[in-house]
Parts: sequence; C-alpha cells; structure tokens
Amino acid sequence: MSYSVLVIPILIFMIIGFGLTKKVAVYEEFVDGAKEGFSTAVRIIPYLVAMLFAIAMFRASGAMESMITMISPLFELVGIPPEVLPMAIIRPLTGSGSVGVLAELIAQYGQDSIIVKIAATMFGSTETTLYVLAVYFGAINVSKTGYALQAGLIADFTGFIAATAVCLLMFI
Amino acid sequence: MLSYLWAGMIMTSVVFALGSDISDEINNTYANQQAYHFKYQLSSQQGQASFIPGNNPVFFTVNEDKQQLVIDSDKSLPLIWQHIAHHQSVEDKTQLVLTITEINENKQELTVRLPEVHWVKIRAITKAAFNMAEFAVKLAIGLAGIMALWLGLMRIAEKSGLIHYFVKLIYPVLHWLFPKIDKNEPVLGSISLNMTANMLGLGNAATPMGIKAMQQLQQLNRHKDRASDEMCMFLAINTSSVQLLPPVTLIAIMGAGVSELLLPIILATSASTIAAIISAKAFARMRSN
Repeated sequence: MSYSVLVIPILIFMIIGFGLTKKVAVYEEFVDGAKEGFSTAVRIIPYLVAMLFAIAMFRASGAMESMITMISPLFELVGIPPEVLPMAIIRPLTGSGSVGVLAELIAQYGQDSIIVKIAATMFGSTETTLYVLAVYFGAINVSKTGYALQAGLIADFTGFIAATAVCLLMFI
Repeated sequence: MLSYLWAGMIMTSVVFALGSDISDEINNTYANQQAYHFKYQLSSQQGQASFIPGNNPVFFTVNEDKQQLVIDSDKSLPLIWQHIAHHQSVEDKTQLVLTITEINENKQELTVRLPEVHWVKIRAITKAAFNMAEFAVKLAIGLAGIMALWLGLMRIAEKSGLIHYFVKLIYPVLHWLFPKIDKNEPVLGSISLNMTANMLGLGNAATPMGIKAMQQLQQLNRHKDRASDEMCMFLAINTSSVQLLPPVTLIAIMGAGVSELLLPIILATSASTIAAIISAKAFARMRSN
C-alpha cells in the first residue's frame, strides 16, 4: 500500500486549516497568489519552445542514436552495461523521452533485470536538467544562465555513476 | 555554454539528417524507381494478386481510371514495402498507392511502381521541430493551472506564517547553501518549500515553488540580465534533488518493483546533490576571482 497519495491532500488541508486559525482571508489570498500563474506560464513559452524543438530535432535526426553506439564500447570497458546509456543521455534532455526509454527497457529486459534497475535508479535520481533550466530561467527572462548548466550536468553525471555503482553493488 | 549546447544540437541534427538522407539516396535504401511485375486475378471489384517479392497474396482495389492500385500496408507485405509505406510523404501511412505502368489484361500481368521515398530524416526533423513547438505551448498552458493552484496555496501559507516556521526549522542548511541571503528574505520560504516538494517526489508542486523562488532571487540579483550565484546553486540542487520518495512517474511505470530501488535512489541522489553543491560553490569561487 502506498501512502504517498495522502501527501498532497493533507498538505492542502494543513495550509488552509492553519490559515483559518490565523484568521487569514484564505479565499482572497488564494486568488491573489494564483493570479501570477498564468502570466508566468506565458512568459516561459519562448524558452520552452527554444529548448524543446532543439531536443526534438536532435532525437528525430538519429544523431543521438549514433552517438550512443559510438560511446557504448567505452561504457563496456568500465563495466557499465551499455544498454543503460540511452537513459543517461536522454534523462537530462526530456522527461517524456526518458519515460519512453524506461518503458522500452522494461519490455525488452524485464523488471527484474539489472539493466532496468540501473536505468530506473538513474531516472529516479535526477531531473530533466534542460527543462528545469528553460522553465526556471524563462520565468525571470534571463538567458545568460552562468554556470547553472555546467553544475547541473556535473550533478547528473555523478548521479548516473552513483546509480550504476550502487545497483551493481547491491543487486549482483 | 547553453547557447553552444543548443546550437550544437540543432546544427548536428540538420547535418546528420542530411548525411543520412544522402547516404539513403546513394544506396537507394528505399528501392526508388524499381518496377515490380506480378500476376493478378480479378474477382468483381476487388482483385487478388500474388507477386514475386512476398509470399502472401495481397488484396487490392483498382482506381477507376486503372492507373493505380491501393493496398493496405500490413505485416504480410515484404519488409521493404512496409518501410516505404512508413516513410512515404503522404499523411496516411496505412495504405500504399502503387502506380500501374503496364497492364496486360489477357495474361493478367501487371507492372507497378511504389511511391518514391526521399528525405526521410529531413522531413522527420522538420516535423519534430514543429510538433514540439506546438507541444511547448500546451505544456506551458497546462502549467498555468498547476502554478495558479500552488501559488495560491503558498500565498495562504505565507500570510499565516506557516512558511516562516518552516524556514526557521531548516535555516542552518539554507544558510550554508545561500550564505549571502538574509534570514528574513521571503525567498528562503519558497526555496525550502521547493526543496521539500522535490524530496517528497512531488514534481508538479516543486516547479511552481521553484519558479516563485527564482523570481524572488531575481529581485535580489544585482545584474538583472545574468544568473546570480544563488540562482545557479538553486538550479543545481533542483536538477539533482535529494529524493526520499521516488517520483510519482517512476511508481506508475515500475509498480511495486520500485520499493527495492528506494535505497539506491536515495544514495544516488545524495551523491548527485553533493556534486551539485560542490561544483556550484567551486564555480562561484572561480567567477568571483
């Protein structure tokens, strides 16, 4: 049984309940805060279009697949199953793409295979870095992102290595 | 860096698509111009034919002017015909339209040509670019509602002082990560809520709170056109996010299998978060020197 479904309803209940005890005009404040939602979403659009169309072209051209075939021998050399490589490359680029990769791996190798375990750990342990970057900096109209991308990608890379190492140690 | 990565993806995909289409053209991967001969049998309006490349009979209908045959594209067709059907430029991929170049009604023999296939990858990247541009807007509009919901709730939590208590609780951690931000800045509230939502695997709550935090960080930013150190640190932590509970999507795909991955995920996210913090701090020091 999963209790995680309870988190959001309880959180909402707590926020509103606490607001009521502190005599906050909850409805008015909610609407006031929510007003920003739409304008922020609209402001993000150009950044999201820029990021998503480039990633989509990259995937559709087949360039990514040949990149994967090119570097997979390197992975084998250090003992990482090369089948998990697509996940490592797609995860920072697209969320829906990495869900697709995981589903494919499950269909091909089965839930209990070490490949799926590594890929799922990779999936669970990092975010879609480029999407987060586009959305967060888009919302404040900043296109000079400094070293945010570099730091994010270093974190992703470390996460992938750690995911592989932990799974290989725990499940083999 | 971002603009090189971005331009690199676009340039690579165009060059790569062009190269792979030219190589298809040279190798004639889709057997353009090839003529196929086969015998056919007519039964009223629908004919049945068996032809040389495949083993199964193919049913077809003849257009009124007897210039074209229309066949359904399915697994019974030869593999290359399936490829042609899949990559042809017409919208309807379920049918193949064959052009009749010769017909001998006495011997019941036909010569047909398949549609020519060119520019497969170039067409694919163009389509992908337009589809995604459209999808980006849908995504953003979808986000508008969720943003409104969480921003509304956040406003209540802010007014009631709930966020204030929460920030007090984790202030030592926040101060270590963002030493330059004053204790009473409201941005610390948004940052801590965002981090908590991420830890609990609540992606759709984390994003609005993160955006709010970025907007408040921008108010403190001295160079409005570029990212501050705090923003980079915040983003790095966000993309690596320590997760105590796995993301909801992973539970949906993996089902019960996810439970044995809890520990690996916590360990891996801890490693990536530590890497994020160290590299963000190191980059910040490099920039200030």
